[in-house]
Amino acid sequence: MRPLDEQETTVVFEKLHKFVGANLRQIVERKDAITSSRYCFRLHKQRVYYVSEDLVKKATNVSREKLVSLGTCIGKYTKSGKFHLTITCLDLLAAHSKHKIWLKPSAEMSFLYGNHVLKSGLGRITENTPQYEGVVIYSMSDVPLGFGLAAKSTHDCRKLDPNDIVALHQADVGEYLRLEDDV
Amino acid sequence: MAAEEEGAGMDSLSGLRMDIGNLLVFDATDPGIEEASTSSDDYDEQCLRKGARAIQALAEKLFNMPSEADKYGRLVILPPPTTKLPREKPLPKPRPPTKWEQFAQSKGIKKRKRSKLDFDEDAGEWRRRYGYKRVADERDIPVIEAKSTDEPGEDPFSNMKKEKKARIEKQEKNRLQNLKHTLKVAGKSALPSTVQLSTMALPITGSAQVPKKLTKDELGEIAGHASTATASVGKFDRKLEGEKPAKHAGKHRKFLPVVGSSKEEKQQSDKILDKVLSRHNQEIVDVNKVSDLIFAFRGLANFSHGVLGFCVGC
Repeated sequence: MRPLDEQETTVVFEKLHKFVGANLRQIVERKDAITSSRYCFRLHKQRVYYVSEDLVKKATNVSREKLVSLGTCIGKYTKSGKFHLTITCLDLLAAHSKHKIWLKPSAEMSFLYGNHVLKSGLGRITENTPQYEGVVIYSMSDVPLGFGLAAKSTHDCRKLDPNDIVALHQADVGEYLRLEDDV
Repeated sequence: MAAEEEGAGMDSLSGLRMDIGNLLVFDATDPGIEEASTSSDDYDEQCLRKGARAIQALAEKLFNMPSEADKYGRLVILPPPTTKLPREKPLPKPRPPTKWEQFAQSKGIKKRKRSKLDFDEDAGEWRRRYGYKRVADERDIPVIEAKSTDEPGEDPFSNMKKEKKARIEKQEKNRLQNLKHTLKVAGKSALPSTVQLSTMALPITGSAQVPKKLTKDELGEIAGHASTATASVGKFDRKLEGEKPAKHAGKHRKFLPVVGSSKEEKQQSDKILDKVLSRHNQEIVDVNKVSDLIFAFRGLANFSHGVLGFCVGC
């Protein structure tokens, strides 16, 4: 377990910024309610964890091989050095997201199986979402289902075919069941 | 005589002196200071007229000179210049004598010219003074008689080699000392040009940067990197006498500690946060970019009004 170096931190912040925008500051400078210790990012076995500092202190008591996870895993580094956000980051993103998409009940299951969001399944979308911006995807009852990238901007969404892709799937809560081992 | 006149001709009619080799023309006539009491504009005009006249005369002289045809027009070979221009750089300082030269001067030793070949009595033939098959080549010595001063375990052949190496090292040291002394007394220009180019600051071809002089720490780091750049990462290499172990043994990246030092970590993350946010900040307007855009649009408008109308719409 170690803190991220400058390059790694930049990559993680950029990825988070895609989803939360200026709220990134709130994420980085968050203070724990009870212990009032800051939150920090730690790298352990190619996964990046978002965890409060006092928890990190306690986690140093566990050896490297035995330590499975700490705090919230927000993403992992692939073998080729790219950083991807994982589904376990959803709570954090949902709390601070700038752009949201709401799905119709008919499209929920399709998305939870890992498919992209089609125009026919689009319920609502926040105004002024630029193209390829990170979006958090909710059901109509405001339950976060996952996140992805907006394939088309809000303006362009109006002119689409019902079968055109509106949002590209990146992670959904169905992965907890489908990819149990990875998470 | 005639050429000289042509080169530094006195155009006596108009009082001009010309140095065609340097493409110079001097108007030595009095500019007429009393006439300057009239308005300064008049005076400027007068000076301009005089200058124009002088240049005209020079141009006339030039075009009247014998010329040959060239790729881009006519080619005139200018006569050598006659005006003595002052020195651009100061006189070079003479090189101070080396230690040997000083010694030779004091003892009155003169240089003598030696021949390349010398007669070698042992071999009975003419051999070179130095180089391949030289007169006193150490490899040719079959037997060295033992002296009373010799220790039993010593090898006289290897002793000879060692002595020769020592002599070479001493000579090299002396040569460097001489160079240092020359540099100190007479400056960089007195050094031989090969030394000047190799050691003095010269930008690497293709870049504008002069290679920076390395600090002691940087040198130590680089030496450490080099020492581990072997097949076994420098583990089994024999170290020279007095060579210290590499500074960061095995470590090539430095991370902040896991716990504690929250101030440094906060600093680092704040810095990166600011960078990331400012990069995507829409409120910061780049004035230059905006003005370029406006000019581009204006260009489009000049091209076609219809096009401008469409752009305004979207």
